[in-house]
Amino acid sequence: MSRFLAVEDQLVRMQRDLKRALAADPKSVRWGMVIDLAKCIGCHACTVACVAENKLPPGVVYRPVLEEEAGTYPAVRRRFVPRPCLQCQNPPCTKVCPVTATYKNEAGVVVVNYNRCIGCRYCLVACPYSARTSDFGDWYTRETPEGLGVLQGRQTAAEGYETEASAEYGKKWPPRGKGSPIGNARKCHFCLHRVAVGMLPACVTTCIGRATIFGNRNDPESLVFEQIGSARAFQLKAELGTQPAVYYLA
Amino acid sequence: MHYRFFPLLSILAVAGLAVGSYGMVDRLWNGLNPVAFGSYVPWGLWVAFYLFFLGLSAGAFLVTILTYLLGIKPFLGIGPLSAFMVLVCLFCEMLFILLDLGTMHRAFYQFFLTPSFSSLLTWMFVLFNLMGLIYTLKTYFLVRGDIIRKAQGTRGPLGAIYRLLSFGRREYDAAMDAADERRVHQLAWISLPVGMLFYATNGAFFAILINRPIWNSALTPLLFVAAALLSGGALVAFLTYMYIDNAAGLRDTLMRYLGRSILFLLCLFLVLEAMQFFVGYQTGRTDIVTSLNHITLGRGWWIFWVVHLGLGSLIPLVLLVFGGGSPRATAWACFLIFATFVAVRYNFVIPDLAVYKLEGLEYVFRHPRLSTEYVPNLNEWLVSLWIISAGLLAFLLGTRYLPIVHPHPRGVDHAA
Repeated sequence: MSRFLAVEDQLVRMQRDLKRALAADPKSVRWGMVIDLAKCIGCHACTVACVAENKLPPGVVYRPVLEEEAGTYPAVRRRFVPRPCLQCQNPPCTKVCPVTATYKNEAGVVVVNYNRCIGCRYCLVACPYSARTSDFGDWYTRETPEGLGVLQGRQTAAEGYETEASAEYGKKWPPRGKGSPIGNARKCHFCLHRVAVGMLPACVTTCIGRATIFGNRNDPESLVFEQIGSARAFQLKAELGTQPAVYYLA
Repeated sequence: MHYRFFPLLSILAVAGLAVGSYGMVDRLWNGLNPVAFGSYVPWGLWVAFYLFFLGLSAGAFLVTILTYLLGIKPFLGIGPLSAFMVLVCLFCEMLFILLDLGTMHRAFYQFFLTPSFSSLLTWMFVLFNLMGLIYTLKTYFLVRGDIIRKAQGTRGPLGAIYRLLSFGRREYDAAMDAADERRVHQLAWISLPVGMLFYATNGAFFAILINRPIWNSALTPLLFVAAALLSGGALVAFLTYMYIDNAAGLRDTLMRYLGRSILFLLCLFLVLEAMQFFVGYQTGRTDIVTSLNHITLGRGWWIFWVVHLGLGSLIPLVLLVFGGGSPRATAWACFLIFATFVAVRYNFVIPDLAVYKLEGLEYVFRHPRLSTEYVPNLNEWLVSLWIISAGLLAFLLGTRYLPIVHPHPRGVDHAA
C-alpha cells in the first residue's frame, strides 16, 4: 500500500471533531477556523459554495478570496487570502448595533437577527475587515426579459432559484422579495445551520486544497486547536484588538 | 418681514415636492434598491444631508440658549424663529435618516423593544426625541399667547387651527404669560445638557470607529461642534436679515453681532480643518493619505476647492472682513456659508468610506454594491429634493401663519 493512502483526509478528522463537539456541553464549544494560505490556490470554490449554500443575491458576499500581488515583473508573487467573517471575540460591529440585532452567540459566532435589524449599516462601517454586506434587494435575473416559455423568462428563472429562501440560522425565511433579509446587514455565520446537523461549513467541504480548517477551538484534540497553536498562525489586523476566531497560517 | 418672497418660495417648495415625489415613490416602493451606495460605501448623500441639517439646528439651538438662558437681549427678536428652526431641521434630519434605513418600519418599535445602550445610535435616538419634545414645547409656550389672541379674531380654517392650538382657552392674562416665561426658561435649562449631548454624540458616533482613520480622532467631535455652530449660525444670521424688521436699527445691530461671531467661527473651523489635513498628510499612512487625496485630488476635487473653499469660505471671508460691517454683505456671506456647507458634510462622510480597508478587496467579486466608487444617483437627489422642499414648506407656512417672527417678547426677565 502506498504511504500516501495511509494519510487521513483532514475532512474526515474535522467531521469527527464536529461530532465530538456536538456531543459536548454546548457551553464549552467555541467555533473557530484556520486558513492555511500556503494551501489556498485561489480557485474561489469556497466563495461559490457559500453563495449557493446561503442563496446570496448579487452584491452580497460572505467569503471573497482576496488576491495580493507582490513584487514587479518578472519577480512577481501572488497569494490568496480567503476572508470570511473573522468572528471577532471583541467585535466592533455588535457594540454599535442600536437594537441588539447582531451579537456574539454562546459558541462565539457573531450572528444577525434578521427580524430585528433596522438596516442602519452602522455595523458595516464599524467592521475593520469589510466582512459585512447589506442586502439591497438586487436580483440576478433583473435584466432577464420576460418570456413565455418554460425554460426562459425572468419569472421562470427567478422562481426556479432566486426566490428560494436560504436556510440561514436554521430558520425558514420567506421567499426572496417578501421581506428580510432584504434591507438587512448580512454576514458569514460559519454555516451554523449546517453545523447544527453535523455538517461542516460549505466553504470547508468545498476547499480542494484543504486550506480551511473548522472546529471547536476549545477542544485540545481537534485539528483547529492544533493548528491555532502553530508557529505560522496569525490574526488579521491583530493590532486592533478585535481578537478574531479565524486564524491564518502564513 | 419679507413676505414678498413667500409666494415664490412656496411655489418652489411645492414644485420640489412634486418633482421629488418620483424618487420618494421609488424609494418607498423598492426599498433601498434604487440608491447608488453599496456595502463598502454604506452611507451616502442622505447621511451627508442629515449632518447638514444637524449643523443648521445646532446654530439655531445656540441662539435659543443665548436668548432664553443667558438672556442676551438683542437675540430676543429671533428667539422663537430659532426655536422653530430647530424643529424644522429636526424634522428634515428624521426624514433623511428614516429613509436611509433598510427596514424603516422597524425603527418605530425596535428601539423600544430591544435597545442597546452600548450603541451611540441608540443614544442619538433618545436625545433626538428629547430635543424634538423640548423644542415643540418651547416653541409652543413662546407663541401660545399670540395664538390665543389670534384665535379670537381670525375666521376660517386658519382660525380653526389657532383655536385647536389654543386648547379651548380664550383669554391669556399676565399670570399665564409669566407662567409660560418660566416654562420657557426651564425648558432652556433642560435643553442645554440635552442639546450638548445630542450634538457631541453625533460627532462621537463617527469618532469611535477604530477602523476609520479620518474619523477616529479626538478632533472629530470638536470639528463637529465648530461646523455645526458655523453653518447653523450662518443660517440664523441670514434669516435675521430676511425676517427681522430694522425698526430702531435692531436688525443691523444683530447683524453686526452675528457677523463678528460668524467670522470667528469660520476662521476657527478653517484652522481645525487645516490641522486635520496637515496631521493626516504628515502621518503618511496610505489609508489616510488616500482618503485625503480623495477630497483634494479625486473626482470630486471641485466640491472641496470650488464649493467649500472658494464659494463657502474665501468669498464669505472677503465679505465679512472687507464688507465694512454691512448687513447686506454679512447676509450674503452667511448665505454662501450655509448653502455650500453640505459640501463639507459630503467630504466628511464619503472619503473615509471610499478607501478599501483590505488589500486586494477591489479585485474580487466585482459588483456595483461592492465598490468604493460612489456618486449619488437621481433617486438620491430626488428624495433629497423632496425632503428639503417639505422642510422649506413647513418653515414658510410656520413663519407666515404662526406668530413666530413677531411674538410677544419674553425670556429676559427670568434668564440668567
